[in-house]
Amino acid sequence: MAESSPQPKAAVAAESLTKRYGNLVAIEDLTFSVAPGEIVGFLGPNGAGKSTTMRILSGTMAGTSGRASIWGESVALNPTAAKRHMAYMPENNPLPEDLKVEEYLSLRARLKDVESKQVADRVRKVMEDCDLVRRASGRLIGQLSKGFRQRVGIADALLAKPKVVILDEPTIGLDPHQILGIRDLIRSLRGEMAVLISSHILHEVEQVCDKVVIINRGRLVAQGKTEDLRRELLPDSVFHILSRASLNEISAVCLQNEKLSLVEKIGEIEGGWCRYQVTMPSQSPARETLAGSLIQAGLPLREIAEQHCGLEDIFIAATRRSPQERNRA
Amino acid sequence: MHHFRTLLWHELRTAFFTWSNWAAAALFLTLVGAIHWFAILECSRAPQPWTPVEATFRLFWLPLLCVLPLLTMRSFAEERRQGTLSALLTTTASTAAIVWAKFISAWITWVVFWLAFLPFPLLTEARLAIPSDTRLGDSATLWGGLCFIIVSGFLHVAIGILCSCLTRSATLAALLTFITLLGLTAAGGAIESLPIESWTWLGWLREPAAHLRTFGHLEDFASGILDSRPLILYITGTFLCLGLSVIAVEGKE
Repeated sequence: MAESSPQPKAAVAAESLTKRYGNLVAIEDLTFSVAPGEIVGFLGPNGAGKSTTMRILSGTMAGTSGRASIWGESVALNPTAAKRHMAYMPENNPLPEDLKVEEYLSLRARLKDVESKQVADRVRKVMEDCDLVRRASGRLIGQLSKGFRQRVGIADALLAKPKVVILDEPTIGLDPHQILGIRDLIRSLRGEMAVLISSHILHEVEQVCDKVVIINRGRLVAQGKTEDLRRELLPDSVFHILSRASLNEISAVCLQNEKLSLVEKIGEIEGGWCRYQVTMPSQSPARETLAGSLIQAGLPLREIAEQHCGLEDIFIAATRRSPQERNRA
Repeated sequence: MHHFRTLLWHELRTAFFTWSNWAAAALFLTLVGAIHWFAILECSRAPQPWTPVEATFRLFWLPLLCVLPLLTMRSFAEERRQGTLSALLTTTASTAAIVWAKFISAWITWVVFWLAFLPFPLLTEARLAIPSDTRLGDSATLWGGLCFIIVSGFLHVAIGILCSCLTRSATLAALLTFITLLGLTAAGGAIESLPIESWTWLGWLREPAAHLRTFGHLEDFASGILDSRPLILYITGTFLCLGLSVIAVEGKE
């Protein structure tokens, strides 16, 4: 089991982490951290270097330069101590096909230094937590569905009560019900374990994670709380307006309220109703008065709504800008 | 060697339940049984300078080349292909413990296969009406041959494990093992048969080649001669192969 050692500042720390394959740079100068008990989403487009970073952090791959540490222990210099505090579920969750779930988890518990007397209890507990007892415990892993295999992988990760859990695409290939179950399970770990989770399902990450780290082409492009990133990366507010007025009429009202407004016509529906998009700085006081101004001007208005910028918008904005731009910012 | 015992127990259990090991066992017993049977037939036709047990051990290279690669080919190649090796390396088990556990498990399986041959001469004697002047073999040959298999098995299995570490394909691992074992078994005899003495620049090869006489080692063991040189050769070779295996596993992951 993970030893009780003094709590470090960062449960996971990557400092100037770089991995090169010959001339190809997989990740470069990557620096980020995960605080104890925090759930962090690790995002990036395909080929951005997420899995490479996770493999280096888990000690299954050596980095070219930089430092990776888990619970204060260097992964390269003290791998056994680092592994004792950490559990890693790789992307494709490789499992032996010819073992039963319970046998596999018992073996993994022993290999993860769980005390012999506690192996059976821990296996039963994680199987209950991951809803494996009823339908999977006595079955061969090779006979399990994708969803159950993912649960076995997560159960394995939680076996030794590690301080840090690294999950590479834990919900890939799961149906919505299974995703909800896994999401609740991960949420329940908040405060107990530091979780670094990579996923392409941004909605899921937004719901579960305290913080996100976004990389692109092997370099860090953004990190922080979703709200902070939204302010940093998406400084404008966007309104969608449904009106029968012309573009010029709408533009005139908007510019009267806020000089930096940008109005675009984005669609037309029957009856002469058009959809407009108005973009203005988030800090502008005109945000509060826009609807009233349009009504006061006598423009026919059916709908006005401020668009919520989700993690998807943040992700697109972050991965669109180059690392140089980020450094300048 | 953290977790060696846990891993060894798991490997032995897996070896017992793997269908390919049962297929290898069937192939082994068929091959050795056929060799023994034909040796008995030859002896029954005319007196031979060898006994059937001796003849069976002399042809040890046949099951070695055909069966041993089947035992070791999956050990690392298959785990690497499935990705379960990286999962294993995320635990606190050391790479050396993983390599040694797989090696000892494969070696035990190999020795068990040969132990299964022991009842053959007894069964033959019990089931067939063998004339009293016909000898199937003496116990010294039997136990000496078995000792040779046990000692040389260290190196042979270690070669198989090393070959399995080098590739993701079990078939390629088996092929590599086959070629290496063939080379090792034939090397001593082949070099000795070359006219090395007339090639002065190759004269230095004569002595090392003399140590590689695999069949000579078998004869020594069967005659009860315990020479330390082959023991050192097999044991140092084993450590070398397993050391390289550890490096290969760590390097490739």
